[in-house]
Amino acid sequence: MSYRLLLTLAIWLVLGLMPLALGSWELAMFGQLLVYGIAAASLAFIWGEVGLVCFGQALFFGTGAYVMALTSKGMIPGIPDSAWLGLVLGIIGGALAAAILGGLLFFGVGLRSAYFGIVTIAAAVIGERLATNWRYIGGFNGLLDVPPLPLPGGTDSADPLMGYLLVLSFAFLSWLLLLALQRAPFGTVLRGIRCDERRMLSLGFSVPVYKLVALAVSGGVAGLAGALFAIQFSFVSPAVIGLALSTEILIWAAVGGKAVLMAAFIGALGVKWVEGALSESIGAYWLLVIGLAFVAVIVIFPHGLLGRLLDTGLPKRLRRP
Amino acid sequence: MSGFLPLALDALNYTSVLLLVSIGLVIVFGMMQVINLAHGEFFLVGAYAVLVLQGLGVPFWLTLPLAFAAGGLLGLVCDAAILRFIYHRPADTILATWGLSLAIRQAIVIIFGPSSQQVVAPLTEPVNVFGISYSSYRLAIIAIAIAVAAVVFAVLYKTAFGLAARAAMANRPMAQCLGINTRRLDRVTFSLGAALAGFSGAVMAPLMSVDPQMGMGFVLPAFLSILVGGVGSPAGAIWGSVVIGGSTTAAASIWTPVIAQIIVFSLSIAIIRFLPAGLSGLRRK
Repeated sequence: MSYRLLLTLAIWLVLGLMPLALGSWELAMFGQLLVYGIAAASLAFIWGEVGLVCFGQALFFGTGAYVMALTSKGMIPGIPDSAWLGLVLGIIGGALAAAILGGLLFFGVGLRSAYFGIVTIAAAVIGERLATNWRYIGGFNGLLDVPPLPLPGGTDSADPLMGYLLVLSFAFLSWLLLLALQRAPFGTVLRGIRCDERRMLSLGFSVPVYKLVALAVSGGVAGLAGALFAIQFSFVSPAVIGLALSTEILIWAAVGGKAVLMAAFIGALGVKWVEGALSESIGAYWLLVIGLAFVAVIVIFPHGLLGRLLDTGLPKRLRRP
Repeated sequence: MSGFLPLALDALNYTSVLLLVSIGLVIVFGMMQVINLAHGEFFLVGAYAVLVLQGLGVPFWLTLPLAFAAGGLLGLVCDAAILRFIYHRPADTILATWGLSLAIRQAIVIIFGPSSQQVVAPLTEPVNVFGISYSSYRLAIIAIAIAVAAVVFAVLYKTAFGLAARAAMANRPMAQCLGINTRRLDRVTFSLGAALAGFSGAVMAPLMSVDPQMGMGFVLPAFLSILVGGVGSPAGAIWGSVVIGGSTTAAASIWTPVIAQIIVFSLSIAIIRFLPAGLSGLRRK
């Protein structure tokens, strides 16, 4: 086992042991960071693997959050008000939103990847405007009092320890899923598309389908993060779907390392934690600092701060003997 | 049709300023393959330059060239400090300029506060055109914007510098082989684009409330304009601005500005989807 893999596993172990060290309030705070981590990892999956710079990740995150809130409050006609069903539908909703966006953009004449970024910005703005102006889903104020997720044993996710463990297990599962896809032949095709799309087409791979599936998976994981966000904060507002959150997700993934899931995950935790720690002392200067830090990371560390440290490398079958 | 003429003039006003912003984007993209997401902040800097200079007692018409210079200078600094290290990594320039735009916007919030402020318009008397009463300042903007756009196009299409610039856009390695200093062209183009954005911000300042978010509201339609018009040539910016500017104004007059934005953005995504070379790509088919 390489030390990089050991380090990655050690991080999961530390995250798992957190409840022993932290009080219930800190634990709840830390659980919220994990949600952002899932969102960052979902972006790293399409950004690092396929090379798609998506400025609309919050669109999928927000769709998941809204679907979760609407379902568990029983506001979708014909669907029972179950929180667990909401979680499932939130994942499906995020994946569906991503699939629709991908279906529009990847097929037919196709879009150059640089334009993809611009179009996703426009899509994020459209999503935010729609959510702000749609009365039924709460408009500008959003939806309040989203119920917590009931857990076996009579508790629910509002309990700090159970809530933390719930989010942590979902984070671990999403990481495993995305990592497995990265290391499967599917992931190899995606990396091929990132390097040379035309060559992959000539080799007979249906590039648009692969991109669509990758984006839908990423959207589904982002939707899961959104649904978890909704039950943790027990409210959703148009801020969870808009450009500001999309930007934050991008920054987390870039600062941590866009090509490595674990690096992006820790990037989100780290940046959000520093933000929380500094926001009282430097206040309005935070956005200025993070903006400039982001530029510096892009210019100086294209792999992110942790990208090289946590890169577990290629699967064995692809390594040179 | 008494309501039509003011509407047409509003559309022309919006379109002409959108064109100024778009030209800056399209020449920067054509030359450097850089999608400059900080463009809206150059616009912002232009608008705040007017605010500051007016506070110092500088007459309005003098603030316009100064805002142009301020935008250009900022563009030059950004190119020297950031872009020259990464211009060979186009995907990263999107992110770097995005971070830059966050930083500049927040710097403006810190200096001037997040609330909106007013700039005094120099021409307040309405004038009679074609039998209707219309804001004379808006008419002046239309004239100025079209004149500036004409100058930029004249430089691009009639001068030796413009020829070199268009050569570099069409085939960069070939232009380099012919002895054209493309790095210097990059710098000039980027600061020219930034200067145009600063100038646009300055002329729009009296019409909009000057607040730190105004740049974003302008730069996204401008981006869609150049994609709709086609990024292949600077002239594509004209078609794109006409489509986006015209349809936004028309839709906003029928419904609300928010609905107009949703419709126009969706419409442009559809156009970009089906015509990746934009409207100017239609002609070449």
